[in-house]
Amino acid sequence: MRPEPKDTMHQLRDGSRRAMHVIRDESLRAVKASEEAARRTFLQARLRTSLAIGLVLVGFLLVAQWRGVRTSASSLEGQSDQNLAIIISEMTAENSSMRDEILRLETRLLQANRDEQGRTDVLNQAAREIESLKVLAGFEGARGPGVVVTVRDPDGTLLAQDMVNVVMELRAAGAEALAVNGVRLEATTGFSARGDRLLAGSKELAPPFEFVAIGDAGNLEQAIELPGGLGATLRAFPGVRVTVLKKDTLDVPPGAAATYRYGKPARS
Amino acid sequence: MTVLALALALGVAVGLLTNIAIPVMYLTYLGVAVLAGIDACLGGVKASLEGTFDDRQFLFGFVSNVLMAAFIVFVGDRIGVRELYLAAVVAFGVRMFGNLATVRQLVFKRRGWE
Repeated sequence: MRPEPKDTMHQLRDGSRRAMHVIRDESLRAVKASEEAARRTFLQARLRTSLAIGLVLVGFLLVAQWRGVRTSASSLEGQSDQNLAIIISEMTAENSSMRDEILRLETRLLQANRDEQGRTDVLNQAAREIESLKVLAGFEGARGPGVVVTVRDPDGTLLAQDMVNVVMELRAAGAEALAVNGVRLEATTGFSARGDRLLAGSKELAPPFEFVAIGDAGNLEQAIELPGGLGATLRAFPGVRVTVLKKDTLDVPPGAAATYRYGKPARS
Repeated sequence: MTVLALALALGVAVGLLTNIAIPVMYLTYLGVAVLAGIDACLGGVKASLEGTFDDRQFLFGFVSNVLMAAFIVFVGDRIGVRELYLAAVVAFGVRMFGNLATVRQLVFKRRGWE
């Protein structure tokens, strides 16, 4: 049966209306989807930003903390109570021995001022002292028993101050003549740093640092190897190794004779 | 991911350039605070993978975690229980591992490695 023309028109109109609905729905859906996508990328960006801020803070704090821990390891504040006690007792002993020294020198001074006889005594003593001071000051080379202290520091953590400490410790233990890597340590020799390099006087020191000290080998060794002493302190630095060797005969070279441009002997 | 790595690198660079060293007496405070910060970041990564990330939640959580951690250390110092900071360390440590495990599982699931 053929459909009526009226019905056909109806169907056509229906069809186009349906098609328009479909198109409208589709475009609405597309708009919604793009909105949704935009919202999602916005959220994603916010998420990234805040996480990034958090991570910047964490990185910063981490480095600050790292630094702090590193400095605390080398400062007195970071030492254990036991070490501090040892350091204090060492300093007390040092202090009292210095007091004794002051007392001794003061009595000598009094003696010298008291009478002529005392004065010549002092002069004779001074003449003898000049002889030994020549060795002490490094005008002459010295030979005798002593120790060789080798300090290895591959990471370069040690400072000029540490070298000074080694020298001071050896001198305090009675070292009469000292040299480091063949450089005689005189009264005017100082340790300093130029960049990563350490200098003794004006000579550059190439690691390992080898201190030669002439004196009572037992005392010198003990000064370094005392529990909680300088050796232990130096070994606490990362990578630092210290060895002490006792020797029967050691040679210390003479230093360059010092010429004084500014200081003149002061006599009163 | 690259953005996050860059952010961490930026933080480290700023720290290195400003040359700040924390005084010894505050080391424990900052140490615990660093742990809190790392924990908060891991939590943030986890939440973003789970799709529950909220930036306000994250930033406030970060700051409050850090402050609370420092506060715990402070209280411990004051009341003579110096080891109280261990409580914070353990708490953050456990949470960090938990978060890390979740992140790993989510990443594996997403990549289809399971």
